[in-house]
Amino acid sequence: MEDTTIQTLASALNFRQLRQDVISANVANAETPGYKSKVLEFEEALARAIDIDGLESMKADDKRHFKMGSGGFAMLEPSIYEDPNGISSPDGNTVDRDQEMAKMAENKILYDASVQLLNKKLAMLRQVLSDQR
Amino acid sequence: MTGMSVSASGLAANRKRMAAISSNIANAQTTRTPEGGPYRKKEVVFGAEPAREYFSDILEGEMGENIKKVHAMEIVSTNKPPILKYEPNHPDANDEGYVAYPNINLTEEMAEMISASRSYEANISALNTSKSMAMKALEIGR
Repeated sequence: MEDTTIQTLASALNFRQLRQDVISANVANAETPGYKSKVLEFEEALARAIDIDGLESMKADDKRHFKMGSGGFAMLEPSIYEDPNGISSPDGNTVDRDQEMAKMAENKILYDASVQLLNKKLAMLRQVLSDQR
Repeated sequence: MTGMSVSASGLAANRKRMAAISSNIANAQTTRTPEGGPYRKKEVVFGAEPAREYFSDILEGEMGENIKKVHAMEIVSTNKPPILKYEPNHPDANDEGYVAYPNINLTEEMAEMISASRSYEANISALNTSKSMAMKALEIGR
């Protein structure tokens, strides 16, 4: 199904799940000497893929034109990197456990919100299907 | 499900650390050990290793490399010199009447214990969050 809402929410769920994995790894390694805290970022890449302002896509107003841009979901890749703002403790570890817990809480709430939105969207589709009489 | 197994590795590592601390506290006065001499303080060394559960994780490449499990790599005996106490009647006293006691600071061990238990709790709450996210995903389309 070529529905941007569903595609967007599905990607967001996927990435938030991945972010949870990254945060879990940071928490587990909060006391591993030399471990560097990792950050996962996907918001910008997702915004580019959705392309709400239409800057990324080329106009295709002739039916011989190929559609470009907008359908960027296939190439969507989050980036994982070492947190550049991490403060290093004497053993070289840069995990701030409180910050990780806060990020985890935020991530979970937004994950749940995405699930709710997805359910609303599906409910709307169901509504459309059921009201034909 | 990677998140859960990573948190589980954190739980296991901290459990091991807890065992080492208990052993240190229990043996704070031990003057005889199988390897000879007084007991020496044990310390657990943590190391990070890529969380690879399945063959596909290896194929996944970079992403899998970045999510690391924690692993209690080894348990080392520290080389702090023993504390000598003058107890000439003790069976383990040396020729001058001094007994070598393990160099264990109980306050330090208690502090370490609290730190281990906090780490354990942090991993538990990460595990619970992963779990509730997975449960929430099951509600999609309901």
